[in-house]
Amino acid sequence: MIAEFLSYGFVQRGLAAGSLVAASCALLGVFLVLKRLSLIGDGMSHVCLTGVAVALLTSANPVYMSVPVVVLSSLGIMKITQKFKIYGDAAIGIVSAAGLSVGLLITALAGGFNTDLLGYLFGSILTVSRDEAVLCGILLAAVLAGLFFFYRDLTSACFDEPFARTRGVPVRAVNTALVVVTSVAVVLAFKVVGIFLISALLIIPPVSALLISRTFKQVLWLSAAFGVGSVWAGVYLSFLFNIPSGATIILVNLLFLAGAYIYSKTGGLHAR
Amino acid sequence: MPSVIEARGLRFAYVRVPVLEDISFSVEAGDYVGLIGPNGGGKTTLLKLLLGLEKGSGDIKLFGTELAQFKDWHKIGYLAQKSPVSQSRFPVSAEEVVLMGLSSHRGSGVSAGELRQVYDAMQKTRRREYAGRIFHDLSVGQQQRVLLARALVSRPELLILDEPSTALDAESREMFFNLLGELNAKRGVTILLITHDTGEVGKYISKFMYVDKKLVFFGTKEEFCHSNEVAEKLGAFAQHTIDHLHNHGHCPLGCSCGGGK
Repeated sequence: MIAEFLSYGFVQRGLAAGSLVAASCALLGVFLVLKRLSLIGDGMSHVCLTGVAVALLTSANPVYMSVPVVVLSSLGIMKITQKFKIYGDAAIGIVSAAGLSVGLLITALAGGFNTDLLGYLFGSILTVSRDEAVLCGILLAAVLAGLFFFYRDLTSACFDEPFARTRGVPVRAVNTALVVVTSVAVVLAFKVVGIFLISALLIIPPVSALLISRTFKQVLWLSAAFGVGSVWAGVYLSFLFNIPSGATIILVNLLFLAGAYIYSKTGGLHAR
Repeated sequence: MPSVIEARGLRFAYVRVPVLEDISFSVEAGDYVGLIGPNGGGKTTLLKLLLGLEKGSGDIKLFGTELAQFKDWHKIGYLAQKSPVSQSRFPVSAEEVVLMGLSSHRGSGVSAGELRQVYDAMQKTRRREYAGRIFHDLSVGQQQRVLLARALVSRPELLILDEPSTALDAESREMFFNLLGELNAKRGVTILLITHDTGEVGKYISKFMYVDKKLVFFGTKEEFCHSNEVAEKLGAFAQHTIDHLHNHGHCPLGCSCGGGK
């Protein structure tokens, strides 16, 4: 059964792209969760709707159209936070609402919802193209390179931002890079789990890993493992039971979270 | 030799409400300055301005270099009023936290020299045994000691400390102020310290700075203790401070004022 499942080209592409993007989201999510910016993924995913709607209206590729829209919006969130000195979650709410309403407006003007749009809303991992899978690979390579070269700056900026600034850590550049790369990850993830569920890929694996890890490096690798594991299990279960893959991936993530919680409370590494 | 800190005409306002107005002073190498003043008087904001954590107007030079151009952050150790991470589960060891006190560094590796510096700093704060423990699992007082080690790890020439003893018990406080006194006296480390505990720390301090939105007083502790004029200018808070200094019949600042007799 598994051999048959893996023999399909579209399954191989979907699993490869899903694993790459889930690992990227899980690694980036660790920093977002610890910086209390978890919901930035939710805000950006709503903005994706604008990119997808414009792409469907103009017959452009939704992924390529959404990347600049979401990157600019995420930079907008940072600018609003700095310029008007309001909390990050409020800035995310403002940009998210703007993205969603513009997306819905364009969709309505274009003649309402259609099958393509529903595919982006709820995910269609098995329709991932070869080029999109390659993009997911480039994204993960960029995330891993960033982690390798800036690991200490990233952890320092996450742990105590004001202090990091007094060490000469370029905190603003670190934050901008984190948010821009997350924007690209969000766009590439909407085919895997759908616009509505992207933020779960950014939040649930890191939270599960944080529950049972003793070191920061352990958090990163466990988070990535949970993300990738959820894609494989989710896609296989959806194939087996003919159920939506995006939702199944997130439900598997929730099972991992429940397991991590029970482990931490009963015999886990944090048990005292 | 340039001043360690030179501030000229510093101003800062939160949404047009002035917090600091026209603050000018110089801190010289080897000074041990106690920064005092009422709550909300702008002490913490002043330290943040000096470190570039807040943006106001005026000129700041650190070790003779304009703040905007200043790069030698290893020369400065900073300890904030409270740990910004006390509420979150951030799985880093005490050793890793101390390591963050070394300047911006590319890559993920740690050199043997850096590790030695980390252990030296933890030894100074007598908390080397915490090295492998998760920072989050330590008590607030223990965390504060680790953060002090983080401030010391780069072997700074200037320490900027914002009410660092608040979370410490009596024994730790004594150890803490003795350590600061030793760093100042033996190694010539310049210290700028916000404190309300003028009695305990007073014997080490060489200068007082009193800030209440404006720079009300800046001078030696002898000037601070002797001057009735200063007491009149500073009003109730300073009078309380001076009374506190003298209430045991001797001056705990260790100055030659005669203990207020």
